Order: sequence, then C-alpha cells, then structure tokens
Amino acid sequence: MQATQTREGKRAKPAAARPKLPKGVFPRAVRYLFRYKWEAALPYLFLLIATLAQLAVPRLIRNMIEAVTQGVVATQVLEGLQNIPSAFMAQALPRILEFLNYTPGTTQEQLVTQLTVDKVSAPEALIRAGIFIVVFAVLRGLFAFLQSYWAERNSQSVSFDMRNELYAKIQRLSFSYHDQNQTGQLMIRATDDVEKVRLFLGQGLVQLVGAVVLLSATLLILFTTNVQLALVTLWILPVALALFFIFGSISQPLFMKLQVRLAALNTILQENLAGIKVVKAFTREKSEQRKFGESVNTLMDEQIRIARIFTFLFPLVFLVANLGQATTLNAGGQQIIAGTLSLGEWQEFSLYLIYLFIPLAQFGFIISQFGQAMASAGRIFEILDAKSDVTDKPGALALPQVKGEVHFEDVTFRYFGGGEPVLDGVSFTALPGQTVALLGATGSGKTTIINLIPRFYDPSEGRVTVDGHDLRDVTLESLRAQIGIVLQETTLFSGNIRDNIAFGKPEATQAEVEAAAKAAAAHEFIMSFPQGYETSVGERGTTLSGGQKQRIAIARALLLNPRILILDDSTSSVDLQTESHIQAALDQLMQGRTSFVIAQRISTVINADQILVMDKGKIVASGKHAQLLEDNEIYAEIYNSQLVGDSDAPKDAA
Amino acid sequence: MFNTRALLDQEALKPKKTSETLGRLAAYFKPFWYALLLAGTFVIIATWAQVTTPELTGQIVDCYLTPAAAASFGGGAGGQSPIVGAAGEAAQSNCWLASDAEPANTTQRIIKGAFTLANFQAPADPANLTNAERITGLGQLIAILIVLFVIGSFLTGLTFFSMSWAGQHVLRDVRAQLFSHMHSLPIGYYAENEVGDLMSRITNDSDTIQQAMSFALVNVVSGVLLLVWIAYNMLTKNVQFALLSMAIAPLMAIATIWFSEQARKAFRKTRVEMGSVNANLQESISAVRESQAFNRAEENIEHFRATNAANRDANVRAVAFTSALAPVLEALSYLALAIVTVAGGLALLNGSTLGGAVVSIGLVITFLGYVQRFNQPIQQIAVLWGNIQSAVAGAERIFGLLDVVPSIQDKPNAKVMGAIEGKVELDNVSAEYKPGEPVLRNVNFYANPGQTVAIVGPTGAGKTTIINLIPRFYDVTGGSVKIDGTDVRDVTQESLRQQIGIVLQDTFLFSTTVMENIRFGRPQATDEEVIAAAKLAHADGFIERLPEKYNTVLGERGSGLSQGQRQLLAIARAALADPRILILDEATSSVDTRTERLIQSALEKLLAGRTSFVIAHRLSTIRNADVILVLKAGEIIERGKHAELLEKQGFYYDLYMSQFKKQEEMAG
Repeated sequence: MQATQTREGKRAKPAAARPKLPKGVFPRAVRYLFRYKWEAALPYLFLLIATLAQLAVPRLIRNMIEAVTQGVVATQVLEGLQNIPSAFMAQALPRILEFLNYTPGTTQEQLVTQLTVDKVSAPEALIRAGIFIVVFAVLRGLFAFLQSYWAERNSQSVSFDMRNELYAKIQRLSFSYHDQNQTGQLMIRATDDVEKVRLFLGQGLVQLVGAVVLLSATLLILFTTNVQLALVTLWILPVALALFFIFGSISQPLFMKLQVRLAALNTILQENLAGIKVVKAFTREKSEQRKFGESVNTLMDEQIRIARIFTFLFPLVFLVANLGQATTLNAGGQQIIAGTLSLGEWQEFSLYLIYLFIPLAQFGFIISQFGQAMASAGRIFEILDAKSDVTDKPGALALPQVKGEVHFEDVTFRYFGGGEPVLDGVSFTALPGQTVALLGATGSGKTTIINLIPRFYDPSEGRVTVDGHDLRDVTLESLRAQIGIVLQETTLFSGNIRDNIAFGKPEATQAEVEAAAKAAAAHEFIMSFPQGYETSVGERGTTLSGGQKQRIAIARALLLNPRILILDDSTSSVDLQTESHIQAALDQLMQGRTSFVIAQRISTVINADQILVMDKGKIVASGKHAQLLEDNEIYAEIYNSQLVGDSDAPKDAA
Repeated sequence: MFNTRALLDQEALKPKKTSETLGRLAAYFKPFWYALLLAGTFVIIATWAQVTTPELTGQIVDCYLTPAAAASFGGGAGGQSPIVGAAGEAAQSNCWLASDAEPANTTQRIIKGAFTLANFQAPADPANLTNAERITGLGQLIAILIVLFVIGSFLTGLTFFSMSWAGQHVLRDVRAQLFSHMHSLPIGYYAENEVGDLMSRITNDSDTIQQAMSFALVNVVSGVLLLVWIAYNMLTKNVQFALLSMAIAPLMAIATIWFSEQARKAFRKTRVEMGSVNANLQESISAVRESQAFNRAEENIEHFRATNAANRDANVRAVAFTSALAPVLEALSYLALAIVTVAGGLALLNGSTLGGAVVSIGLVITFLGYVQRFNQPIQQIAVLWGNIQSAVAGAERIFGLLDVVPSIQDKPNAKVMGAIEGKVELDNVSAEYKPGEPVLRNVNFYANPGQTVAIVGPTGAGKTTIINLIPRFYDVTGGSVKIDGTDVRDVTQESLRQQIGIVLQDTFLFSTTVMENIRFGRPQATDEEVIAAAKLAHADGFIERLPEKYNTVLGERGSGLSQGQRQLLAIARAALADPRILILDEATSSVDTRTERLIQSALEKLLAGRTSFVIAHRLSTIRNADVILVLKAGEIIERGKHAELLEKQGFYYDLYMSQFKKQEEMAG
C-alpha cells in the first residue's frame, strides 16, 4: 500500500490533490451519535452548564474588586471627612457627593451612615464573592468533567458500532471486492479512520459547540457591559481568523508534500526490512543506505520548511491576542481616568477577553480535525455502501441435502463486469461421486470454475446448478455447508489445532475431530506435540510446516463431510515423503464425493472420471486419460511437458 | 552463532535507567549545541518578557489609575489633596516608575532605561498628575508593554524553530544510524523479530523522540523557568501574599501526578485491547475467503464484537481519568484566583498591609496576573510530561535495537576476497540455532569449480542452513566453510558476497521499474546489459508485453506479476550479477507449463560454468547434478549421482520412490 502511495504521489497533479467530500457524510456520521438518544445529548447539556459557570467568574472577580474599592474609598472618605474643618464642609460636600455618584443634597449624616455601612460590609461582600467563585469553580469543574467523560464515552460507542458494522460488511463482501482491495487498506479503515472520526465526534464536535457558545456568550456580555470598549478591542477577531486562514492555506500543501515524502521513506524502509536477504546477498547495503539518507534528508528539509511557517504563525496569533489585551488596557485605562469605568469592570473586561480568545485558538485546530474526520468517514461509508455482488436473493430457499450433480450451462464469466471473458461458454456435467480434473495453463480458467461452484462469484452469463437448483436461488449458507474446500495455501487461525480443524463445524465433538485428523494423516504429528490437539497455532503459536498445514486443511474439509469437494492438489514446498502422506489423505477425501481438482499430479489425472482441458477460458477437450492422450494434442503436450517430463525417470532407474 | 535471541533476552532483563537513556539521547544533540544555546537564550528572554507583563500592568494601576481615583475628588483648586488615604500612599510608594524612585532590580532598571531611551516622561509625582498627563503616561506604558509582547512572541517562535531544527537533524541522524545498523544485523535477527516492530522503531519511536525533544522539552523547560521566576518575583514583593498565592500549586502537582499515573495504567490496558482488535482484524480480513467458504461469517462477527467491546470498555475506563485532570486543574486555578483576590482585598481594606508589608491595588492586580501565568505552565507540564515519558520509552526501544551487537562481523584484519575460481569446501561443519539443538552435524563436502551440487532431504534436515552458511548469513559453530581454501570468516562480508549470486524461493521485488529490479544485481550495469540478462533468463518476452515494458513500475512485492514471472526476474538479476558461485532455492509453487519450461531452460543457462548449490525440487535438476547430497536430521547420509544413489536403494531411493511409486503402478 505504501508503495502505491508513493507512485500516486509522483503522478498526482496538484489540482487533483484534494478530492471533494461527498455530500451528507457529516450528518451521516453524526447520526451514529443519535442512536444513543439522551446519552448523546448529555455532554451538550453539561457543556452548557459548565460554560455558564465559567462565564460567571469574571463577573464575580469584578464584584470582589468593586467591594474592595468601595470599602477602601469609604474608609478614606470617612477619614477625610473628619479632617475637613467644618467651615469648609459646605464647600467640600457637593464635590465629594459628585465623586461618589451620590444624589446632590444628601446630608453629611446620611453620607457618613452610608459610608460606614459600605466600610463594614466590604469584607463580608469580598468573602461572599470569593466563596461564590469557589462554588462556581467546583460546578464548572464537575460539569466540564461530566461533559468530557460523556462525550468520550459516546464516541467510544460510536467507534464500537462503526467497527462492528465494518467488520460484518467486510466478512460478507464477495470475493470480487476482496480481489480489488488489500487487507492493509481495509485494516486502516477499521482502525485509523474509525479513530479519526471518533476523535472528532468525541472531542472536536463538543469543542466546536463549546467554542461557539463561549464566543457568542462572551461577545454578548462584552457588548452589553461596555459597548465602547468592546468596539475598540474586537478588531482582533477578524484579524485572528484571517491569520488562521492564510497560514492554513500556506501550510496545507506543505503537509501533503510531507506525507508523500514520509510514504517514500517508509517504502524504502519496508522493502529493506522485508527484502534484507536480497540486499545482503547482492551487497547493496551502501547504496541502499545512500538512498535512505537522501530520503531522510528531503523529509527533514520539508519538516524544517513547515517549522519555519509555524515560527511566524504562533507568535503572530499570540501577539494578536496580546494586542487585544493592550488595547483594553489603554482604552479601559483612559475610561478609568475619565471616571467612566471602575477598576473592577476593567478587570472583568480583560478576563472576558481571554474567553474570546480561547475559542478562536480552538477553531483552527477543530477545523483541521473536522477535515480529516470527514475524509475518514467518507472512506468508512465507502465500504459500508459497497455492494456485494453475491448475496442471497429475497426469498432464497435453503438447499436441501444434495446428491452432488454439478452442472455448468453455457457459463461465461468476466472479472469486474468487463473485458475479455475468463470463461467463455463453458458447459459440462459432473455426476454424483465423480472426480473432475481440471488442467490448463495459468489463466486458462481453472480457478474460476472452482470459484463458481460455492458461488464465490456469479457467472456473467449462463448458470451453474447443483442437483438442478440454480445456485442463485438458494441461500449461500446452505450451499457452502455442503461444499468442502482445500486450498493450495492453508491459513491457520490463532487458536488451537482442534479449533482449526473444527473451523467449519465449531460444534464437532473431539472424537469427530480426531477421526477427521486420522483420515487426513494428521493425527500422528498432532499427537507428537506435547499439548496434542490443544497446541496453539497461528501467528503466536507453534509453526507448522507446509505439509502439516495442508493436512489440517484436509481434516477440516473431511469433518464437514461435504457432498461436493473442491481442491487444489498441488503440494508446494513439502518434501517427497510428506507429499506421499498428503496424497494418501487426499485420495481418502475424494472417495465417494463429487470432486473438482486442479490437477498437478499424474495420478489424479489418470484416476479422474472426467478431465477438462482448459485453454483461454474454454474447454478444449474433455474425457478420460487414455482417450485424451490419443486424440488430443493440447492434452498430450501438457501431459508430456508438465507431468510426463518427470515420470520417465523411474523407467531409467528400473 | 545465532545468539541474537540471547541478546534480546539480555536487553529485556537489563534495568532501564531513565537518566542514562536521557544522557544518551542528549549526546545526539551535541553537534547542534549552537541551536540549543540559541533556544536557551531565547527562552530566557521570552520568559522575562512574560514575567514582566503583570508588573507593568501593576504599574499602570499604581502610577496612573489609583492616584487618579484618589485625586479626582481630593484635589482642591491648587490645594493639597485633603484625602490621600493609605491606599493612595501605598500606590504611590509602589510606583517605582516615578522619576524619584530608585529601581530595585534589573527589570525595573531595564524598563526605566527603555523609558529614557524612548524619551518618555516618568511621572514626577504620581499623585498630582493632570488627566491628560495620565493618559499620555498610560499610552507610554502600554507602548512598552506591546514591545514586550512582540519580543516575547517572536522569541518564542524562534525558540520553537531552533528546537525543531535541531530535533529534525537529530531525527535524521537517528534514523540513518538505525537503518545502517539494521543492515549490519545478521539474517538470523530478522527470523526472530517482526518486521513491523523494527519498522515502528525507525519511524514512530524516533518521531516521538523528536517531538518530545523539540516541543515538549522546550515547553517544560520554559514552563519550569516561568514558574521559578514568578515564584521568585512574588516572594521578593511580598512573602506572605506570595505563599498564599502559591498555596494551591502543590495540590495541582499532586492532582496531576495522581491522575496521570491512573491514566497511564488504564491506557496500558487499552493498548493491549487495541492490539487484540488489530490482530483479529488482520487475521479475519486476510482469511476472509476461508471464512466465507466455511460459512464462518456469523461466528467471526460475534467474536469480533466481543473483542471490540472489551476495547471500548477499557477505553471508557481510561477516559474517566483523562477527562478529570483538566477540569480539576481548572477548578484549582480558579480557587487560587479567589484566594489572591480575597486575601489582597482584605489586606487593602485593613489598612493596606499584609503581614506587615504594604499592599496596593496595583500589587493585587500584578499578583492576579502572576497567578494566571503560574497555573498555565503547571497544566502544560502535566500534559507534556506524558510526552517526554513516552519519548524515553521510545528511546529505550531504539537504543535496545542499536545495542544489539551483530553476531556476524568482519574481523578487524579481514581481507578482501579477490577473484576466485569457485572451489567450496565445508570442513566438519556443525551449526545450531539454539544452543544444544544442532541443525547440522559434522558436515563434510567440497564442490569443485563449475560443479552443481543438489541438496535433497526432508523438511528440517538442514538444507537451507547449508546454503545460508556459504554467503556467511550465519556462522558455523564448529568446523569451517572455505572458498578457494580461505575461511569465509577471514574475508570481508562484502567481498565474499560479491562472488555469490542467490536466487531465493520467494522472489523479492522492489516497488520500482522492472529495469531497476534486475539492475539490483549489479548497479553499474548498462540498460543493454540488463536487457541481455533478461533475455538470457527468458524474461524478455513477458517484459515486452508489460504496459511500459522495462519501465513498468512494479507494486508491493512485485504484485501484478505471476509467481513464474517473478522467478524469471530473479534469475535475470542473478545472471546480471554474474557470480562465480550460485545458490539456488528452487521454487516449488505451481506455475503453468510454458513458464515452467522457460524457468528450467533459464536455470540451465545460469548454472552453466558456475559452482552451484541447489535445494532441489525438480527432478531435472537432480538428475543433472554433479553430486547429490542427501540430508537427514542435519547429517549427510548419502551422496553421489542420481543413478548411483538409486542403485544403493537407501534413503534417497525411498524418498524418490514415494513420489513416483503410484506412477509406476499406473505405467505397469
């Protein structure tokens, strides 16, 4: 996959670099949250409470500062009043009243009473406001926690659902889909892509809503408390947004370039690790190191180029935020000097200004997260929406127990619905219990024939029937339950040997499993392991040889006791002795079943009831061995070059 | 020999010292010390600018704003202010910017210097300024504040750049070193370690280090610097007030450590669960065809659902801790804010003293600024500390790999192997992968220049081991392998392997053009030579039919080509290298008849005139061999030509007959 990336990277034209997102991806992704109804609403409810609690804090701080200023002023004025000689009092009183914003005409006694109340109540007011702050802080903390916890929890539920759906879909997609898609790519969708969507739904989306709420609420407060001050400081808003936009558009192509370089580096690395023996065998270490060195260097240059951009972006953004504060200081300070603003209001304002900036800083981050998440969601939905070519048709019946007559009726098959036919008008009948050997060069259509019988693919034209039932009229499960398959490459699953043999029939008893293993000539080697059938195999377990794996596969097919058997009889990379064991097991397996064999061995061909000689998608000859050898040239050629070429040896020896 | 497993065990057992790892990591930064020095200088200046900001805000209040409030109602016409209370006095005494006040520290000296430099007028008597003078003064202080902002911001940016620059260079060096080291490790290492794991050490782990070292480290350092500096400033201004303001800090530290620890434990569990999810996905996607063939989809989906649910639950548990840390720290920081305001306010109300020291409104505002700046780095350090920890873990994994001593190395005085004739001799050779479990026992044989040696025997008999010993992919544990009489351990690996061509069972192709893939055998070969080799290997035919012929780019592992075609490319590659000695592991996978014949003919041409060792699966190869070695359980039990061996009616005869017995019966 990495290799493909690099090549695409080289070819990609800059204009085509960013594909447009298909419509409806975002609502569809969000709908996954809606499945959790009120649980999905919880984080947003908590968010609202937490934001409100947060918004109260600057107001409380202002109250505290005002309580203090009022108290201080009251104390000072009271002291001052005592110092003013009574002769000057009449002259001084209106001035003091004006400064304190008292109604003119208030008497000295009234003033003193009021100021004494102010002075005495100030510490209490201060402490009360302090306690309120603590209460609000606790509220804020509690609800911020609940909000974040529930958002994460919901997002985990979403990713759980998405992964399950993906998995189920992948399990059911037909062979032709898997032919076109690599394991690695499907893996990445079920892991990385799901995680990116989850991150956005769990954090980004809540943050986005939170940021919008905080921003608009703060703007509202700023404008209602002090329009003049709000107007002079709010220029930072568009400036910061413009900055984000400019830098975003500059850095985006650089990041893409970085990805291409990274993919190139990974390709070299991966190939050198996987192909280490070749590298060493041809002593190419130095030149590969040089190549890697160049790649690492270009990657570094790209990284430094990006760092250079951010060297200017971050300071500028922070500078803009700080300049906002400086403007508030200046304009607010002037208002204080002019007497139209109190110190408390001024502090309150500058605290709210911080709230204005927090969402601003978040937006840039959330937007990039959003872009990634939606691209990932698009890739996920692409799989979920993929149409499986082979599905049960509505009202499909279960295939009853079959005798095993398989009939191909003028079958034509094209991969991916186009191009040259791989099978071209193939017709033949296999009677119950017959062995059909398929012969022909690579690409002649042998594998396609055996893939059509369990309905891994559907014919493009014509039909395949079993006991007269068109395969498309019966359920996949009931069809495949009656077909046993032994492929050339056997995959073992993590688990023990027993589970691997019982793969197609998990409810099989130990006795049944052992009987199948014995018939497949596998029992002996299985018992030679200390843990016998409990020996764990697969990725982290014991490694079995190719021949041992193949015998497990034969046992697996035997256990199903299928009426129809499909097998690829080539036994690759096993030694001669093992091969004879396997041969015996296979003969046992084919006994009395309708069998289709991609034949590599002379014995199979000679024993077959029917040999189909394939060439370029057509059956060019069919019949029994002796008859074909006599009157068919292609068969004679295949027989001589592939099979007979080795078989005249024993005659030499004898 | 083959002692990498033992080395790995040692690696796992060795106690890891974080300081040791960090020290080793630091060594990589040594060549870029000037970038670090610059970053350090920038950080100090930027932090100073940050610490000074609250102080200037305090000055604005104390020099221009508080006296304004006091004077606006107190000042009679030209008369002395009748009402100048304690707060006013405190404010005035706190206005160190006033022209008659002595600067108490360097910061104050610098600001005053800046004032003089800018030709600004410091207030002579803060209490008696006209409003116009106050507005001018306010503007002047804010101008200085803006200069500080600019300095702080851009130096922070430059710090980031210097660290990124150094970090990226270190990343490059670490990666290049890892890559070269990887090449020096013997094949045996790769048999025992997963490619994916090695990949992730070179890409992810080194990247984690880079990020932690250029981002996290510099932020932690500047955070700590900021904390210490602010603490110092607060303490010098007012000890009691300072202690009150910092009272919450230890709580924050404890909360951070506790929650991080819990989260770390919880996340360890999630990594295990995610690993299971990945393994399950990997296995079932790659074997999806079998699952469908055996009707296993429903069981698999159920099984995956369970694995997936375990992963979700582990994550939800972990999230409880991660979700709590930020809100707790935030709540604590509000608490600190409340303490400063209440304590400062009460002090102002009670005659402007706290613990005997003068408190002004400006000072309270300064402290408010400090506390806000104090909390931020604590929260930041909490997050970044996690990054640094994972970087140390990454570094340990990297050093673990770098510390694996290649078990096969050139001797210090290894000679360069010159042109050879191609006589190969195994002299009483023993070999073992695990101590005490010999794979080869006392193997003796020699091949004269130009001879073909076929090696046959059951799986596990030691065939592959023999051919791995000749190019010294492994070392013998007893005896010696000699080429033209020279022990392979006495010459450089490079010069040895240049004499040897290898065609492996599974052909490895690189994702580059067909031309480059063949040229891999001899980089300096011309296009014409490459094409000639392709023709010799009968690969020319199918290459010409590829969309872009020799310039067709091959996919991952040569996808797009059939097995047989890939084998032909491997033969072309070996033919181009034109070695004296050839090693061949015959591929057994089925190819169609025509290709099979092409391969046989190509191999015959390739073997001609070279000393060849073939793990034989083709009868034609066996019959044409000059000598056949029959291996069983690590020993050569029979040797000779095909006909001689058959006559002996020994093990070879059995091996041979088991394959062809049936055929004979048919023929008979």
